[in-house]
Amino acid sequence: MPHSRFIFRQLTRSGNQAAVFVLCVTLSIVTLVAVNGFGDSISRSLLRDARTLHSGDIILHAHTPLSRPLLDAAADLERSGKAQTVRIYEFYSVVRSGMGDDSLLADIKIAGPAYPFYGRVTLASGRDFQSVLTPGAAVVERPLLDRMGLSVGDPLKVGEATLTIRDVVVHEPDRPVSFLSFGPRVFVAMSDLDKLDLLKRGSRVRHYLLLKTPEGTDLERMADRLRSVAVPGQERVETYRTARSRIKGFFDNFLFFLALIGIFTLLLSGIGIQSALTALLKEKERTIAAVKAMGGTGRFVIGHYIAVVGILGAIGTVLGLVLGFALQWAMPTLFGGLLPDDLPLTLSFRAMLEGLVLGVMAVALFAFLPLHRLREIKPGAVFRKESAGRRRGLPFYLAAAALFLFFTAMVLWQLEDPRIGIWFVLGISGLILLTALAAAAILAGLRRLPLRALAPRQALRGLFRPGNATRATIVTLGAALAVLFSIFLVEKNLDAAFVRSYPADAPNLFFIDIQPDQTAGVSELLGTAPRYYPVIRSRLLSVNDEKIDRERERKRRRDNLARTFNLTYRDYLLDDESMLEGNSLFRDDIDGLQVSVLDTVVDMRPMAIGDRLEFNIQGVPVTAAVSSIRTRTKESIKPFFYFVFPEDSLLKHAPQSIFTAVRVPKDKIGETQNRIADRFPNITAIDVTQAIADFADIVHRLSVVVRFFTLFSLLAGVLIIVSSVLATRFARTQEAVYFKVLGAKSRFVLTVFTLENLIIGLISAALALAISQTGAWIISVRVLDIAYRPYPGASLLMGAATVLLVVAVGLSASLSILKQRPVIFLREQTEE
Amino acid sequence: MTVLEAQNLTKTYAIGDRQIPVLGDVSFSVSAGEFLVVAGASGSGKTTLLTLLSGLDRPTAGSVWIEGTDITHLSEDELAPFRNETMGFVFQSFHLVPSLNALENVMFPAELRKDPDAPKKAASLMERVGLSDRRDNFPHQLSGGEKQRVALCRALINDPRIIFADEPTGNLDSENSAAILKLMLDLREERGATLVMVTHSPEIAATADRTITLTDGRITGEQRHAA
Repeated sequence: MPHSRFIFRQLTRSGNQAAVFVLCVTLSIVTLVAVNGFGDSISRSLLRDARTLHSGDIILHAHTPLSRPLLDAAADLERSGKAQTVRIYEFYSVVRSGMGDDSLLADIKIAGPAYPFYGRVTLASGRDFQSVLTPGAAVVERPLLDRMGLSVGDPLKVGEATLTIRDVVVHEPDRPVSFLSFGPRVFVAMSDLDKLDLLKRGSRVRHYLLLKTPEGTDLERMADRLRSVAVPGQERVETYRTARSRIKGFFDNFLFFLALIGIFTLLLSGIGIQSALTALLKEKERTIAAVKAMGGTGRFVIGHYIAVVGILGAIGTVLGLVLGFALQWAMPTLFGGLLPDDLPLTLSFRAMLEGLVLGVMAVALFAFLPLHRLREIKPGAVFRKESAGRRRGLPFYLAAAALFLFFTAMVLWQLEDPRIGIWFVLGISGLILLTALAAAAILAGLRRLPLRALAPRQALRGLFRPGNATRATIVTLGAALAVLFSIFLVEKNLDAAFVRSYPADAPNLFFIDIQPDQTAGVSELLGTAPRYYPVIRSRLLSVNDEKIDRERERKRRRDNLARTFNLTYRDYLLDDESMLEGNSLFRDDIDGLQVSVLDTVVDMRPMAIGDRLEFNIQGVPVTAAVSSIRTRTKESIKPFFYFVFPEDSLLKHAPQSIFTAVRVPKDKIGETQNRIADRFPNITAIDVTQAIADFADIVHRLSVVVRFFTLFSLLAGVLIIVSSVLATRFARTQEAVYFKVLGAKSRFVLTVFTLENLIIGLISAALALAISQTGAWIISVRVLDIAYRPYPGASLLMGAATVLLVVAVGLSASLSILKQRPVIFLREQTEE
Repeated sequence: MTVLEAQNLTKTYAIGDRQIPVLGDVSFSVSAGEFLVVAGASGSGKTTLLTLLSGLDRPTAGSVWIEGTDITHLSEDELAPFRNETMGFVFQSFHLVPSLNALENVMFPAELRKDPDAPKKAASLMERVGLSDRRDNFPHQLSGGEKQRVALCRALINDPRIIFADEPTGNLDSENSAAILKLMLDLREERGATLVMVTHSPEIAATADRTITLTDGRITGEQRHAA
């Protein structure tokens, strides 16, 4: 029979330490609840009407013109009344103002009159979209008007046609956010397609045919029928239920990353849970000893404290759920324009349940050891103030193993991708282990440091006072800050490599979709003869006769072999390339067609010289043997190709477009774009510096979101400091009082406490900086292949901020101790 | 010459809404080099009187003068140099700093006043009390008698004019009690310090120059002992 009054008293008399415990439990789930709940809101929003997101029931998609059999099959369905169809073309092109004095890269969409089948294109005027998008009209996004200084009613040159801007598009059902596009949207009527004259052979056009079917249609069956006539590996037939949305893919990836941060926070908060609970139960040692002295069994004690911990854990979990969901509402502000405007935020039952389970599991696992240790308290402890030393027995190792398994299982559950999951578990375990070992080594060294000065010596001694969570504080703060600093340093390095230090000799203007007969004219307009790269679009079908599993490949979060590749042909290495395997691009000892592959492809799937790769080059299967493996300087902004064929090969005769990249003075970029677009409207010019700046802006905004969530893990460290001060309150007060009795002024006591926190802050900051500098260096040099800059100024500033934080938190938690009058403490001790 | 003077000391504690009088109108003075014992039964107000005399607590009324300075209304920081240089404390519960070893505990008051000879003085005192081999031990590694000897050395390192001792043998067995008392009296004599000791032991009181007896917070007796 539980003694409810005992439980109630233990709860109400637990004070600050219980508050820290509750907050640690809250912290452990708040990030994951927020991220998972938000992820569900996104998914629900994007999938609440997946038909709207894809504008149709069945979607036919290709990067080449849709094949005749597929079009015929769709036409048959339409004729027999089984479906309605609408054609859509999407591509980038440079549009010009009516006077031809300004140009801009735009994302053109040419849609048939039935578009959209589902949802609605909202115009600023409020008029009906199809009634506005008549022949000769263009409907554009607001940024186009702003950047080109145009207004509704002005002429706009798109390709060879001069259209009139009729309205401004506010919302497009199948494009809920626009930041994934490099350029504002321009809608053009299907009837103007030929007038534009932009669809040349080999142009980068996304071809769509959308089908709308009557209710009750067996979509899968219809899709299967269409698939049977589609060109494999080139044309995709999907239903709205199976089609992947680019925007959903983006959020899946990003939220997945935030979930990693959430798990990291959970782990660090777990250390806080354990630390706070150990301190909380330590305060109860004499009560427990007294209960045992009166005949209370170990079972009674543990059972009742499980109830106390359970109730506190439940409060923390509920608080975490509430805060997690509240945090969701802050997300749109945090993401700042990266989310669909009309994103409805909902309470996700799944996220709530997950949060609840996580909270219970985190409390159960992290509270196990402190609760188990209650068994070690003997009735005789009522006579002692110090508690017995603790040994690491079997329960410790069992708890550690259970925690590791829980952590691994949770990572795999959240991440779904076992390979990344295992790397993550190893990485985080390594980080925490490394921080713990380094902290232990530094503390062991400090313990032996012969210091003459009194205050620093006393501060150093203070680090090792019994009950002090010095190591837990340093590990938690060090690991959290290491992640935070690493993200900052990698972002700064990316920024420096690609945005601020854009190489002076690197091309800044890319021209794509040049037709073979236009190269002379382009050279003439540019006043130079740049290097032209032929581009043949293709898909990889198999490697050594093993077919590429497109579904599996697409599930990979990194680059994959299922996508369309740009092939080229040449017999020489580019300036930024070097050979990894093989002495030259092509070999004499291989018969038949050869292909040189970039090491990036080998990262996607291991390949060796002599392996056979089968490509689909615009419907024609072509097999080539790997002749060499190249690598390149990834920091270089020069064009590169994954697959290079010999100059004198059949590729030369395949349908192709040409691509070039030039360096143009910044103030001449617009003028050059205009000149080329005027004469060759089909050529798309991309201002790379602008594109990179746009990209850097998105990266920065995402980095802010990541840093925001990482701050929660830092809070765990802060809570451990508070818990540690509370846990050692008696010892600290004792020291402060004795110092004062022996003639020390308050300033001395303040100096000792400040120095103690300063040492903890300095060690945490130093560890975090050392780990983050190493980690960021590895990521920059080994993964991103960019030069590394350590940013010593910013790093020192981050270190100083850490020290300041630790000192401020540590001192504010110790303020009441500093004010304590000696006599009150001495009297209490005498009375006892 | 008077080194310590109590004038009409009164102390009342407030517990909830109750006022508990502990000391009432206590006045006396102590001469330089004198050994004064404050005796009385448990709860008579001995320890409270000691905390008022040493400036650890403030009286509700009355004043305390040390070497001609009224310390009654000094702040904690103003009292600090008095505690460090003029007074030395020996408590029943030793009150050694747990994170410092024996030698460091002894050195501490001298280090606070930045005495460069602190280690030398501490070592010499520890040798004098027979604890040279215990200098590196922490308080939890020492016996009760050893702890009190360390506390005694700590109280004496700055050569204070007044030593306040609150039941210094209260937590010790009889053998250790006798040894500590002898040490304390020898060292006091060597240094010519004034000793104010709270005790309820008649044997110890008999060795003092003078005993004042407290009953329910008031002086009810004063006895001078022959030298």
